[in-house]
Amino acid sequence: MSADRIILKLSGSLPRIGLSTLMVCLFSGIVLSFYYRPAGDVFRNVEEITTHVPFGWFFRQLHYAAGQLFVILMLLHTLDHFLKRRYAAYPLRVWIHLILAVLLSLFTLFTGFILKGDKEALFAGRIFTHILQAVPMVGDPLSRIFITSGQDFFFLPYLYHCFFLPLLIIYLIRNHIREWIPDKGFMMAGVVGLFLYAFLVKPSPAVPPGAMMETVKGPWFFLGIQALLKFVPPLLGAIVLPGLFVACVLILPLSKRKNTEASFSGRIFRTKGDWLRYGVIFLFVIYVGLTVKAWLWGV
Amino acid sequence: MDRRGFFKKGVLWLCSVAGGGVLAYPVFSFMVFKKDRKRTIFFHPDEQVADVSLKDGAYLIKEGADHRVLSARCPHLGCTVDFDSATEQFRCPCHGSVFTRSGKWISGPAQKDLHRIPAAKDKNGNISVVMKI
Repeated sequence: MSADRIILKLSGSLPRIGLSTLMVCLFSGIVLSFYYRPAGDVFRNVEEITTHVPFGWFFRQLHYAAGQLFVILMLLHTLDHFLKRRYAAYPLRVWIHLILAVLLSLFTLFTGFILKGDKEALFAGRIFTHILQAVPMVGDPLSRIFITSGQDFFFLPYLYHCFFLPLLIIYLIRNHIREWIPDKGFMMAGVVGLFLYAFLVKPSPAVPPGAMMETVKGPWFFLGIQALLKFVPPLLGAIVLPGLFVACVLILPLSKRKNTEASFSGRIFRTKGDWLRYGVIFLFVIYVGLTVKAWLWGV
Repeated sequence: MDRRGFFKKGVLWLCSVAGGGVLAYPVFSFMVFKKDRKRTIFFHPDEQVADVSLKDGAYLIKEGADHRVLSARCPHLGCTVDFDSATEQFRCPCHGSVFTRSGKWISGPAQKDLHRIPAAKDKNGNISVVMKI
């Protein structure tokens, strides 16, 4: 099989395996919701699920792996579209819906990270609150839409994680998915792979909220931002710069209006489109670099 | 579009914006409402023996015969700072800000001192501080 055919096959497989991981994620999430409580001592509740409740460790690990894999596959699917300039085939509105769905999937993963209730989770939630509060004028009320302090700390992230975000993601991708149940091969690959992972790999030990840790790290996809926040103010590092990157990705379909003939406007649009593309690549490479640095050498 | 159509569309648009605003205001007021909640932390005499002790987000620091209470929250992004007894410094595990024993900022992105909380001592020797939640 030629390299082109392999890439083409991989390109088609990413979203299909992704869909099967989404199904496993929803299923394991429903199972976990029967014991998980977002109030009181959440860390203890999660530890009970992992150590006491029959098969709790399995469903927790299954949910974790399925969620992570779904988001990773969606990011690769987006990267694949970007590299092949497929965004040019989408109307702007549809493209915006799909990118928003990817961003909301990342946010779902982040709320899941908070719901673990351990030290990393608690600090991630607090950092998120402070970053939102750094937004001028509306910071304080804005933060309260997503998270509150005190004993209800986990309630809003729970509400977003279990209800608002999954519903919104499914709404946004409703026209993009041709068949909601992926064909048997992909479904089996996803289910068998994830079940094997959950059986063989035990959940990593959690750190109690009161324990001391030399360095507390955020989730892998925010490591770059965590590294950036050491040097730049929260508003710039966690809102303006990521917002700029997202804005560039959102308007990518505008760059498709290149004229095949060398008319003046055609050349302008083509140049603009290429600059936008280079801008996205530039910001992406910097972010990956920051993430790898934080991952390997600490934040 | 003729003039009548333009005005009709304009009025419809204005009505939608006004209607949306009328609905959005109570919705957002409800969603972002926060009751002012405070919590009192007591450091009993046996908890005042240690040089530096942490309780419910507040550090009690011994300063001769007196005590100083500092918020354990890093002023940068709210992580709880840890006290390193070897260097006698507070250090934030999230972004690496460092503070002196008395809460003065030394280095890192925080650029502010740890927040000092006024404390009161009662006749039984308990030190109490009131913290906003």
